[in-house]
Amino acid sequence: MSGPTLYVALVAFGVVVGVTSGLLGVGGGTLVVPFLTLAVGLSQHAAEATSLLVILPTAIAGSLALRRRGVGNLGLALRFGVVGAVGSVLGALLALALSGSTLRAAFAVFVGLVGLRIAYDGLRRESVHP
Amino acid sequence: MQATAETSLRVRLRRSLVLDPKLLAIGFGGGVLSGLLGVGGGIVMVPLLVLWAGYAQREAHAVSLGAIIPISLAGIAIYGVAGEVRWWQALGLAAGSVVGARIGAGILARIDERLLKVVFGAFLVGVAALLGAH
Repeated sequence: MSGPTLYVALVAFGVVVGVTSGLLGVGGGTLVVPFLTLAVGLSQHAAEATSLLVILPTAIAGSLALRRRGVGNLGLALRFGVVGAVGSVLGALLALALSGSTLRAAFAVFVGLVGLRIAYDGLRRESVHP
Repeated sequence: MQATAETSLRVRLRRSLVLDPKLLAIGFGGGVLSGLLGVGGGIVMVPLLVLWAGYAQREAHAVSLGAIIPISLAGIAIYGVAGEVRWWQALGLAAGSVVGARIGAGILARIDERLLKVVFGAFLVGVAALLGAH
């Protein structure tokens, strides 16, 4: 993909990512990173870096929408996130020290394992408490 | 009943930010994974807040989404200095995602908590399948 086609695809895919992240409370990186590597052709590092820049405005918009509806407490969430920001700096530095293929393998394994576990848990709880 | 539960939850969160090593660990761990893998960190913080720290699913989603703001800012700063951020492509995706997030959050405020769990699980299964297919 290139030129106008690429940007139409990026915006359209962004809408899908936004709905998912606003609905589920995740930033959408699990969708954005595979899209940027597989469909757009970015390196794993560039895809992850770009993904974080997509996640930021999405999280801001989603948090403001929740705040207007009285769900959660944004101030407390931001304080919680400051602890996370320290970890994020270390994580990004670690990623930059790894090769692209190693990082991509780590990404695939992590998301696959977490996905299987949480999906199983969700289905199990639903059937235990109908 | 709902308001009381929510108030006590907030008091618990406020105190535990200082005292509870569980929440500090979840925030730090979510941050490391966010910076390492380019995800928001919600994918690990939400399950841990629910399954380990005992928060309600909806509250965990809201706390996680807010926490992603400073977490992603820190990661962008590091990757930005390294020259890895593709600003224009991020802008295209972000333009769509801001619109989509409002739609998703509107659904979240009204959605049944058990249904949310199933949707969350289905979402993660979809991601796993997507990665497995390649």
